[in-house]
Amino acid sequence: MESRSWYLLFLPVFAVIGLVEVYPLILSAYLSFTNLNGVPALANYITLASDPAFFSALNVSLFYSLASTIIAVAIGLGLTYILTQSLPGKRVFEATYLLPLAVTPIVVGVLFSPSSVWDDVQQFSHFILGFPYFNELTPIFYFPVMIFSESWEWAPLILLVAMSISTNIPKEVFEAAESHGASTLQKFRMVILPAILKSPVMQFVIVLRFIDAMRAFEIPLAWSNWLGYTTTPGSPVDTISLYLYKLLFASSQGFPIGVVSAAALTLFAITFAGAVVLLRILKAVGG
Amino acid sequence: MDSAKTRPVSSGENSAGPRRGRSRWTIALYLFAVLAAFYSFWPILVMALEGYNVDLGPIFAGKAVRLVGGLQFPPGLFLPTPAFYLQALSLEAYPRLVADTLIIAALSITISLAVGIPVAYVTARIDIRGKNLVAYLLLALRTCSQFVVIIPLYIAYSKFGLYDSFTGIALAEQVLILTVVVWMLRGFFMEIPQVVYEAATVFGKNEWQVLRRVVLPMVMPGVVVTTLFALVLLWNEFLIADTLTGIATRTVSVGVWEGMSINQLSFSALAWDSLNAAGTLAYIPAIIVLLLVRRYFARGFRLGLGS
Repeated sequence: MESRSWYLLFLPVFAVIGLVEVYPLILSAYLSFTNLNGVPALANYITLASDPAFFSALNVSLFYSLASTIIAVAIGLGLTYILTQSLPGKRVFEATYLLPLAVTPIVVGVLFSPSSVWDDVQQFSHFILGFPYFNELTPIFYFPVMIFSESWEWAPLILLVAMSISTNIPKEVFEAAESHGASTLQKFRMVILPAILKSPVMQFVIVLRFIDAMRAFEIPLAWSNWLGYTTTPGSPVDTISLYLYKLLFASSQGFPIGVVSAAALTLFAITFAGAVVLLRILKAVGG
Repeated sequence: MDSAKTRPVSSGENSAGPRRGRSRWTIALYLFAVLAAFYSFWPILVMALEGYNVDLGPIFAGKAVRLVGGLQFPPGLFLPTPAFYLQALSLEAYPRLVADTLIIAALSITISLAVGIPVAYVTARIDIRGKNLVAYLLLALRTCSQFVVIIPLYIAYSKFGLYDSFTGIALAEQVLILTVVVWMLRGFFMEIPQVVYEAATVFGKNEWQVLRRVVLPMVMPGVVVTTLFALVLLWNEFLIADTLTGIATRTVSVGVWEGMSINQLSFSALAWDSLNAAGTLAYIPAIIVLLLVRRYFARGFRLGLGS
């Protein structure tokens, strides 16, 4: 085929992203750099920079997304190790491990709430093991729990991709490893793991997980409720998305489209930079 | 395992030593696998049981369950009831929410596959200038916060009557899935060995035939995985659906949340139980779809590998 006609195949994609991404992006940029009368101004960015809640939310978002991505990958690879062994009832285990992926994030926030899972844990530790009740509403408890619930939900995705990659490794490679006397652990570490980390699909999924966790909204929203901030801004668990949601829909000072656009664009810039760095690191590690 | 180093592991003529070690290892592995299964489904099970108002404490009350230093469970009422599930199902909203979500998902995935497969193929395989630029442009746009998109789209949709329509929301959800579809398929196209393309070209097929007859069947498992992933993303998506859908096209996750935010105002035990029933009903179809597609997914891979 003529090399120029390949470019025609890009046109539909450009049409779609032009409508739902480029146009909104340009309009948002315009809204963020103008005040209500359409006069060019930096007022929105100055408002944002003087709001401590914004920086708190930015910190939470960064820590939350990095930690939950790393933990999800670790759990996902652990589960992959189990499933790449010869194990009776493996298919049942595989099906079970995938279940968290089907639970809506907003429901995950409910699952790991103090009155759901932790209520049972409290009952068990108090009445059976004899420990006193512990307080679920301290930062040292709820931050790890939020991060863990995010990882709990998405580790199966890592598992799914890792399994599909390890199924695709030619049998000859395993036979060669076995004939050199590799143990199952060695086979996992030296054959399966490098193949997984080297795969472009896996690298993309990890970066994607980071990007999506940077925009995390539902689990923090649930926890902001358990902490007593229903739609009030300024809760310690606010991520940027939640901060923006509260600013937009629960704000007492009107409908601050300009400030929200400015904050959304700032988040976009930071997420973009983070994703680029992460992709570089993954390429360097995976080769 | 030292002796195994010099011999094939699976030869079956090993002495009893390594084999016993291996069986102990298998038991440990099995224990680990069961623990991991427990970790995966226990929170889900807790929610399903809460929806029935099941609390295990009263069952154990007065019985010898305490270990070191434990206390007696206080007596309470053990009253499991299907009422909350029946209530949630009889609301008529639930089947509508599921149907709406599936329509939106089908429409969005069709759009993104139709638009995305050619781009994935070209950026993975064809040597033309600017192909990486297109791929990375898509990735860059995916890092965009939803709030960048929501406000302008809301304004535009209200103007052109796309607000609360399936077309509008399916287009808006491309923000969520288009990059994912293109990049995942791109990866699957890249993983096909170069030899396949060369062989197909040697047999006189033109590029279009290579794509349709040889490459597409080979990436079918990849397409299934991608579709499954997009479906999960769409089923779970909340923010875009919450702002761009109204009564006519509301999705499950938004529906559960609407019920939840009403319940928050009066956080009684009753509301808690019906919230859990609604949450359980929200994940059950997703679990069924996931398990069904998983089977197809494994079969697809075996076919793809030709064994």
